[in-house]
Amino acid sequence: MIEHGPLLETLLAGASICEVTDAEAFRRLNDEVVREELNHFLRPLNRRLAQSQDGSVFFLAYQELNTQAREHLSKEFKQTVQSLLPLLEWMQLVQESMGREGSLSAGDHIKFQEFALRTEDNQSLRQRFSQLASDRFFKSNSDNLDQQLKQVFKRLKETGYLHQPHKDRQFYTVTGKIEQLIEMVRFIKDEESLPLDEMPAQESMF
Amino acid sequence: MVRSTNKKDQSPQSRLHALGVARLNLIGKYSEQLMDSYVKGHFDETSINELALDKLVKARLLHRPDENQPLSLRPDVNSLIASLTEDERKRQINADVAGQLEQIRTRVKHFSDAQYRGDYAASEHHFQLLTEKVHDMTGQFSDAIASLWNRLNSDFGFVSNLGEKIRENELAQKQLRRLLDGFELIDFNELIELAQSSGPLRKLLVSQLQVTISDSSSSLLEVQKRLVELMARFRQQQERALLITNMAAFLKQHPNFEVGDYPNRSNVPEHVNHAAPIIANASVALDKIGDQQVLGDIVRSLDIVSSSYVEPLESHGEFDLEQLLAIEEKHQQLKEDVESFFIDVFDQTGSVSALDYLVNKQLEWDGEMWLFQVIAEHEGLAYQLRQRFDLVKDKSSESEFNHVEVIHDVQLAVNM
Repeated sequence: MIEHGPLLETLLAGASICEVTDAEAFRRLNDEVVREELNHFLRPLNRRLAQSQDGSVFFLAYQELNTQAREHLSKEFKQTVQSLLPLLEWMQLVQESMGREGSLSAGDHIKFQEFALRTEDNQSLRQRFSQLASDRFFKSNSDNLDQQLKQVFKRLKETGYLHQPHKDRQFYTVTGKIEQLIEMVRFIKDEESLPLDEMPAQESMF
Repeated sequence: MVRSTNKKDQSPQSRLHALGVARLNLIGKYSEQLMDSYVKGHFDETSINELALDKLVKARLLHRPDENQPLSLRPDVNSLIASLTEDERKRQINADVAGQLEQIRTRVKHFSDAQYRGDYAASEHHFQLLTEKVHDMTGQFSDAIASLWNRLNSDFGFVSNLGEKIRENELAQKQLRRLLDGFELIDFNELIELAQSSGPLRKLLVSQLQVTISDSSSSLLEVQKRLVELMARFRQQQERALLITNMAAFLKQHPNFEVGDYPNRSNVPEHVNHAAPIIANASVALDKIGDQQVLGDIVRSLDIVSSSYVEPLESHGEFDLEQLLAIEEKHQQLKEDVESFFIDVFDQTGSVSALDYLVNKQLEWDGEMWLFQVIAEHEGLAYQLRQRFDLVKDKSSESEFNHVEVIHDVQLAVNM
């Protein structure tokens, strides 16, 4: 158990563990014996190991949903829903500015400089990015593009969507949390029966 | 080569040879223009003189598909270049097995007839042509397979967007199916019968061809499997991109969109269940004898400065660590900016207004917060250091009736 100490601490602190953030820990968590050991330890803390649907991310969930837990979940869920639009828009921006064909997914790399240059060169991207940066999720109050870019990447790193392997290099990897976000989007779409599939027809009208 | 240089006769073979060499030379001579035409889709008739243009048309390299159309490469030349450059956009897959088999049958008959007549030279000639035909066919198969693999391994990188990739993948799957259908047309029982008792024929038509076809089929089946997998991935990507776009559009159109209260449902969905962070904290404990030595060493090695006391992180049950860290970080930044201000004053003669500095440096701090921190920093300095700075507060009384004073600005100067 002692060898799982640091891993447990990371998980308890609220981190999500995926192949990108910590390959070694991720490998260990894929072992059912390890998971059982950890769960045994977590039980008195009313926590348990949980996994995203596609199995790419581990995190801690509540074991029993008491009032306190529900209160926290409500707060957090509200935050997640509020962060949906800015995050989705950010994903679209990256996809467009980098000329990627598919949407961002876990393991994709983003070079800060490259993204910055492409955003700077394109007036419309630049405008959209500035607007996005001032969203309350990214919280940038600067008019300077460079500051905005730094703030957006900082926030994405803080919230765990981006991983920076080398502290002094502006090179980021998309983490498994983005998959969780997509799962959440899909979940909300299905649960709320949102008529998203009919959207393109509507959009093309404008 | 040998034949044409040694003999000056006008046999059909040597004439063919000479003509072929002349035309291949034409390709070499006008390679630039021909390649331009390959890329642009039509030949620039002004790039060479009329005589040369005429030559290229006569050499069956260029043609005019329609009277009103510009000159362009003949399809054969197009596919030759596509094959040489492995250009998957234009590479053709020739899956017409039936036609080829028909030709093979005819040639086998020519060959058998010649043998029957005892015409050794003719039978050798027909056998050579037959060998070429069979190799042509198998060569086309392996070319087609190589082309399919190529497209697969490059993830259809020659087209730019997902929709095009999906269509290219569909096309490749169709070509593949046609090839496999073509393989089924090759009836080895028939070929065995055709070869009869001739050893070389049997070897060419049966054993060699069988090995090639079975290798090709297994390779094709592998390609097919991978194409289907890739298609599934493409479709998944497409679905995902669409989901992102549509959800973003929906949220923009419905800014007041409310989601269900999932956390308070009797069955809380897994997606929503993310536990709050817990910080595992520990403090200095002196109740274990063995630890005292270690703790003592730590204390001795510490450079304790009473003024820079840092509040340790404590866990009061559940709290928002992120927020706390963000505040901490912001505060640290403010402190650093104020320190820079103090250092900057050294470079100035006379006093400097704290608010002017704030504006000049385009710092984002709130004025009141800034002044407060400047004063706090000044008061926080060690006595000797503080003596070196003169801090003057611009202030006025709020009213005559109380002692509230409002500080409008702070002037800082170095006390020489």
